[in-house]
Amino acid sequence: MKCDYYIAPTIENVIAKQRAHPGKSAVIAGGTDIFLDIEEGKKSADLLIDVTQIPELNQIEETGGRIRIGAAVTHAAVEKSSVIQRNAHLLAEACRSVGSLQIRNIATLAGNIVSAQPAADAAVALTALDAEIEIAGQDGRTTIPILKAYKGVGKSAIDTSSQLVTAITFDALNKNQGSAFIRLEQRTALALPMLNVAAVAALNPDGKTFAWVRIVMAPVGAGPVRALKAEKSLKDAPATMDVITAAAELAATEANPRSSRLRGSREYRMEVLPVLVRRAVAAAVEEVPGHCLCLEKEAVLL
Amino acid sequence: MITIHFILNGQPVKVEAMPSDMLLDVLRGTLHLTGTKKGCGKGECGACTVIMNGRAVNSCMVPVAKADGARIDTIDGLGDPDHLHPLQEAFIEAGAIQCGFCTPGMIMAAKALLDENPDPSDDEIKEAIAGNYCRCTGYTKIIKAIHIAARMSNGKGGV
Amino acid sequence: MMKDYNCVGKPEDRLDGIPKALGRAVFTTDVSLPGMLYGKILRSPHPHAKVISIDTAEALKYPGVKAVATSRNTSQVPFTTAGAMVFTGPQGRPTLDQHIFEDEVRYVGDEVAAIAAETEEAAEEALKLINVQYEVLPAIYDPLDSVKPDAPDLHWSPFGKNVAGAVIEMKLCRDIEEGFSQCDEIIEETFKLPQIKQVQLETQSAVADFEADGQIRVVSTTQTPHCAQIQLATIFETPVSKVQVKNPPFIGGGFGVRIGLSAKAEPIATALSKLTGRPVKVTYSRREDFIASDTRHGGYITVKLGARKDGHFMALSVISRLNGGAYCSFGTETCAVMGAMTMSVYSIPFRNYCGTCYYTDRTPAGAMRGFGNPQGMFAVDSAVDMMAEKLGIDPLQLRILNSVKPNDPTWINPYPCTTALIECMEKGAAEIGWKNRGKVNKPEDKKRIGYGMGIGTHGSNSFPASVDYSYAYAALQQDGSLQIATGVPDMGNGTSTTLPQVAAETMGISLNQVGFLFGDTESTPFNIGSHASRTMFSAGSAILDAVKKVRQQVIEYAVPLLESPAENLDIQNSKVFLKDNPDTFMMLPEIAWHAHIRDIQFLATGKSEPANLPPWHAHFAKVEVDMETGMVKVLKMVAAHDCGFAVNPKIVEGQIEGGVLMGIGNALTEELLVDENGVPQNDSIHKYMVAMASDTPEIIPILVNCDSPVGPFGAKGVGECGCIPTLAAVANAVCDATGVRFTELPMTPERVLEKIRKAK
Repeated sequence: MKCDYYIAPTIENVIAKQRAHPGKSAVIAGGTDIFLDIEEGKKSADLLIDVTQIPELNQIEETGGRIRIGAAVTHAAVEKSSVIQRNAHLLAEACRSVGSLQIRNIATLAGNIVSAQPAADAAVALTALDAEIEIAGQDGRTTIPILKAYKGVGKSAIDTSSQLVTAITFDALNKNQGSAFIRLEQRTALALPMLNVAAVAALNPDGKTFAWVRIVMAPVGAGPVRALKAEKSLKDAPATMDVITAAAELAATEANPRSSRLRGSREYRMEVLPVLVRRAVAAAVEEVPGHCLCLEKEAVLL
Repeated sequence: MITIHFILNGQPVKVEAMPSDMLLDVLRGTLHLTGTKKGCGKGECGACTVIMNGRAVNSCMVPVAKADGARIDTIDGLGDPDHLHPLQEAFIEAGAIQCGFCTPGMIMAAKALLDENPDPSDDEIKEAIAGNYCRCTGYTKIIKAIHIAARMSNGKGGV
Repeated sequence: MMKDYNCVGKPEDRLDGIPKALGRAVFTTDVSLPGMLYGKILRSPHPHAKVISIDTAEALKYPGVKAVATSRNTSQVPFTTAGAMVFTGPQGRPTLDQHIFEDEVRYVGDEVAAIAAETEEAAEEALKLINVQYEVLPAIYDPLDSVKPDAPDLHWSPFGKNVAGAVIEMKLCRDIEEGFSQCDEIIEETFKLPQIKQVQLETQSAVADFEADGQIRVVSTTQTPHCAQIQLATIFETPVSKVQVKNPPFIGGGFGVRIGLSAKAEPIATALSKLTGRPVKVTYSRREDFIASDTRHGGYITVKLGARKDGHFMALSVISRLNGGAYCSFGTETCAVMGAMTMSVYSIPFRNYCGTCYYTDRTPAGAMRGFGNPQGMFAVDSAVDMMAEKLGIDPLQLRILNSVKPNDPTWINPYPCTTALIECMEKGAAEIGWKNRGKVNKPEDKKRIGYGMGIGTHGSNSFPASVDYSYAYAALQQDGSLQIATGVPDMGNGTSTTLPQVAAETMGISLNQVGFLFGDTESTPFNIGSHASRTMFSAGSAILDAVKKVRQQVIEYAVPLLESPAENLDIQNSKVFLKDNPDTFMMLPEIAWHAHIRDIQFLATGKSEPANLPPWHAHFAKVEVDMETGMVKVLKMVAAHDCGFAVNPKIVEGQIEGGVLMGIGNALTEELLVDENGVPQNDSIHKYMVAMASDTPEIIPILVNCDSPVGPFGAKGVGECGCIPTLAAVANAVCDATGVRFTELPMTPERVLEKIRKAK
């Protein structure tokens, strides 16, 4: 595989290089996906533009309740970040579940989003956090909701020959919001998930009813899938196991997993998905102080 | 061809390589350092683990251009027959070596862990080496060895 | 009574530990020779096809390419990559159904051509320029389809349609039906096993140099250098004495994947070297290792077990129909071992076994740790648990009642059974907490705990199923240190430490005084290699024999020097002394030099006696099953092993622990799948679910000693045993947790959940 490699010092540099090689360059962060894609013929590039040395892209910051993760930040950095552990721990857990430590030390969240794979763990957690993606392009900067980054399986809305992701942002969770990330997997490392579910729940001040819930499921569609009907059914609903169980069944109807010879048939995934959604939502509720959920043993996370 | 400069096992080196060559091939091929092993070439087995700027990485997935200006530590620079690193001593003492093919990568992953976390728990050890595949040992004595090395390094004495 | 030894029985540090810990141990994939070229292989994309034509003209022109090899310009001598080619005994004939390159390809991955070039990249690019025309033929993937009248004939076979190798029948009674007629309860069930993979970390690799004078020198990953030597000599029609095969000296794992040749690495590298006149290195990619090197046999095993209501087993019939894949390899031997083992664990008056291996268009199955025994015992010991449930008897008690006892006849004569199996069972049961079985779950529990067990036996070498012998050399060097040599490689099993331990103990010197040559046909006498759990028992016996002779020579030489009869002399710590007056002694270096300057060296050849002695084992599993997802988690495994005497307990424990995790994978997560076009689906470590460190449960090995009449210091085999009773133990534990019997492995979450749902 022959291509040139350029380590960019600034964002403006990246844009300029992209302009100089229209359609022929690709942004590389960790590189764990792109080299395999090029080898398998899924992508091609004459020039790889490495963005990992750009200082602005390497920060994790919390400002006024808004968290900003630079596009070159690795899964390992997010997993270990006290900012993330304090304010959005489900993202730390999601990142920890990816690959292996060696991969997490190199692979970036932004890269994970741009590869647009259905089961990307960090993206699932970020969707539950209602994250936004900041993009720099030839015409300046834009911000899109995370789900808009997915055009289809393996198809990103972001064209890395003319754009680059600069940051991922979301609101920090406050102490009245709980969250959970659950992954069904055949192996605890180096395995794609059979299913993953992320939930963020906020309770009303009475602690007895939901204010809102976000439920995200994967790989049950082209990208992470929000269970919008189930979420709607929980708005102001009692935060009890029966209600959560019913919502979980509803969430499963919004999923469309395919059959995988390696990671479970569609029938199996449809059977197990409500279980995982139920467990994730219940675990999220359990984190909210003053909740009235009686959980017994069954809401134990996997 | 490009020229890459990095610090390898504490010494400055300069290599000529194609930009898309992987660090592993440069280490084993150009630099003739065969301590780091190739088990899969796709970042799935950890046999090629080296420490880059203090972090364990799969060198088969690191384009060598990324190594420019980096600090790279490999098994080839760790210990010698008269002065083994505590991890090397511990692996031998615990019986954590069988065929030995995973050992270099495993030791480097363990070293990266202990450099950052000198007294890890079982779970922390398992997480650190979960990307280092071994078929011989069942990992049991490897985990024990890392505990022994941690104790040795902290001056608490071996088991 | 346990004797107190100086060196054996001690957890000595491995002698290869320092080089391996420093990364300085040399493996085949590290070897480079001057002028070396790189070989890459073109493989069939079809599961079954005729090769109509191969056009290599464009490939030959690619810069850096030095040769293109096809069936047109390489040896067409038929062979099998399996060592069975060399060690099939007088009772059979090996099935030689392979060629370096096939004109009829029989699985996705079958070798069609190869290129030698200056760089790996050049070879890979040039491969794409080879133009092959195929005539695609129908394909079959399941042994049940192989026997159908309309199934394609994959090979001509004298044994029946698509039958690979001889059918193995063991009629151990006059009339099995008479036995079943005496039973109060009968269990009959068919079990389905997957093809799984060794996934050793160093892929198949060989560096071959076909020298100008016709000598062939090969460095490779083979577990059997002497067998590979004979195989290559046959293929290339060269005298065996002009072929050298060696390990460099280490191998990155084996587990059976390279007993004989390392798939086609050696013959292809040699063929390319012959064409180019330069050394050639062929290293399989991980994908090639997955799809084109021998797997474990999967297939169907039907068990019929009959018992009286007091629990005594009366009749056992085992019928196996194995998926042999595209080439026979060790198909016959696997059927034979499965029969020998399943017929030998329990004392049952009426027993019968029939095993057949069938050709299919899948990756060839061959040797993998356990060699038919794990599969057979999964079936038999699942049936035993089913019988226990039917009779209302605790499965542990049922096994204690029926298992072979000391002095019972065993599958291998003439030695009566020496077994500590009961002790293994009792100790294992205590450690796992067997008394909690059936008492820990509440009806409403969504996560349920289960306990299960499995037992078994194995061999300490492959006699009498195969030719099995080891020779060894021993020589006292002029400074009193000892040089030993035997052909067994060290693929991680620790022979390069444990065999020197045997030698040191026997000679009466310290371990660091022993030099060991191994794994090289040029410097060691014939040995069938490292497999069949035989290296300590067989090679160790040969070493013991040779060193005993050297020791005797030294003692006899010392008789006039120390003025004492030979019976009164002993050697310890390199000191030859009088037993009744230890202050009268000479040091070994003194004696060695004394002899040397009188033109004498003490040296001898040793041989293993063809014998075999079964080891015994019992595994206990504690699992947790998530009843809503079907996920099974092993919480604890206890593995109790009677391997006679552990020459190095640390090494033996390590072997057991690794075997246990491999067995757990076999039971729960490992499975090679193909799609409807025969294309392998799990061709990488990412897609094939071998366990990682974070999956490891608590594993407790228990070594149980047992006096043995043969074997070095009473040692028996153990290398394969760690993964043999594990499958049944885990399956029985899952059944205990869920109340559901699993007859198909692996017990993936999907299969488990489906069965739980159906049982409701």
